[in-house]
Amino acid sequence: MRGERLAPYVLVAPAILIIVALRLWPLALGVNFSFTGDGDRDGAVVGLDNYIDLFRDPLFQTALRNVGLLVLLLPIAVAIPGLLATFIYLRVPGHRFFRSVYFFPAVLSPVIVGAIFNLLLAFDGPLNAVLGTVGLGPVDWLGDPDVAMFAVVGVHIWATFGMALVVFLAGFATLDGALLDAARVDGASLPQVIWHVIIPGLSRTIQFVFVTTMIGMLTSMFGLLYVMTSGGPEGSTYLPEYFIWIQQGQMNRPALASAASTVLFVIMLVVGLLQLSLLRRAVKES
Amino acid sequence: MSRTRTSRWLVAVPMGLLALATIYPLLFTGNVAMKTRREYVLDRFSLAPAARWDNIVGAWTSVGMGRYFLNSVVVVTAAVVLLLLLGSMAGFALSQIRFRGSSVLFLGCLAALFIPFQVIMVPMARVMADLGLIDTYPGLVLVYVAQFLPFTVFLMTSFYRTIPPEIIDAARIDGNSVYGVYRRIMLPMGTPALLSVGILNALFCWNDVLIALLMMPSAEHRTLMVGVTALRGQYSADIPTFASGVLIAAAPVLLLYLFLQRQIADGVTAGATKG
Repeated sequence: MRGERLAPYVLVAPAILIIVALRLWPLALGVNFSFTGDGDRDGAVVGLDNYIDLFRDPLFQTALRNVGLLVLLLPIAVAIPGLLATFIYLRVPGHRFFRSVYFFPAVLSPVIVGAIFNLLLAFDGPLNAVLGTVGLGPVDWLGDPDVAMFAVVGVHIWATFGMALVVFLAGFATLDGALLDAARVDGASLPQVIWHVIIPGLSRTIQFVFVTTMIGMLTSMFGLLYVMTSGGPEGSTYLPEYFIWIQQGQMNRPALASAASTVLFVIMLVVGLLQLSLLRRAVKES
Repeated sequence: MSRTRTSRWLVAVPMGLLALATIYPLLFTGNVAMKTRREYVLDRFSLAPAARWDNIVGAWTSVGMGRYFLNSVVVVTAAVVLLLLLGSMAGFALSQIRFRGSSVLFLGCLAALFIPFQVIMVPMARVMADLGLIDTYPGLVLVYVAQFLPFTVFLMTSFYRTIPPEIIDAARIDGNSVYGVYRRIMLPMGTPALLSVGILNALFCWNDVLIALLMMPSAEHRTLMVGVTALRGQYSADIPTFASGVLIAAAPVLLLYLFLQRQIADGVTAGATKG
């Protein structure tokens, strides 16, 4: 009988041990590590020196500026799948086909997506060839510091809008169809239906998509950056995650990288706490 | 009525163009993989004269994509099997058994969900180096398991909560131990969730590049995605070979998508609505 009492602990032990040892413990280790030195000062406590270096580092400043850019572009990255999901929900001709085609890039690795767009966006590549025939361009999509970040974010949105679309459609499934029918009978136009019925009805889904899209932009663009621009040209496409990788792997400054990790974690925490509060509300409502 | 029908078609046209823009890049890549270098340089858009597999065979054999493919298959399979095993065990205990500390442990898993790999990358590299696990298959598998376990435990717990406790009580009265209930009831009843979580985890691990780059520095241990990034440097002048490598890396995901699209979408939305 004693064995039976222990059983739940035996069942959870492997998972809990791994999560504690390789997720929670490294987090504490990393924060601690960010207050120690690199190179000659390895292991010595240096207070906030890494953080001071970090915020003076022009590449990290660019990374933070680019995070700001992502926040500005966030409404677009949410509105596009939201609008497309609305049309699919309203059964435009071919809606099933659109749904499965749009979702497809979302399952591809950022590496594959980045490699394909490396081909398409090359200076002597197909997109510029097409633009050339209509008398435009050529644009140095990945080589112009003013353009490259927009190109990479554009590719990221292309690759991930299907994910948000599917989440929106799951939200639509919970929407009261009678409300929509009533609005239609009353002769409401599409913008009116969206504004007065769909947005209020899907507020939880919309908030959720905002948070997950932001998290996706902060944590799943490494593959694209690595393949498409390697942070260039002139360091213009740095994001915190790429900065961490370079400082840890190439520059041999792990303590500085840890400080950048901690800053990224604080950004994520703000986003994550937002998500947790949404989750709690969702649990209460259901 | 006719007015709405016309407007529906007006919406369908741009949506169709967007659909084209969504699949065209992959079709383009597939077409390039079938062309010779000369054909590509002369005309990027022309259709390959025939379905030629030379470039793909070349990328598979001489460029090493075959080796990388095998590495990925081994690592992803091991990681997914472990994730499903540990995730379902923990999910069962956390959802169906009352025991001291269960809610704290569940909250711990939930907290770990919010720690992206980038944030713990540096200490992780240290810990793995101390354990002598850098550049080993078990090391990479372990990091994947650690990375996706919180998500797996969370989804399995949510799924097992929907199983009525009466079923477990009945199995216990029939003389099953807790482990017997896990093996004879929870595992078989969990199949739909295990399938969907398993597919998602397989995608996550297959598609990862950051963890693999960090854990597997030597060339013969490359996973397929790292192989693609290496290909970009080495074959930047040989676009058809490059495209072939990309195609090899995308093919399993494409097949998975064609046959299991429903389960993938369900998994994503389950993750979305529950976590």
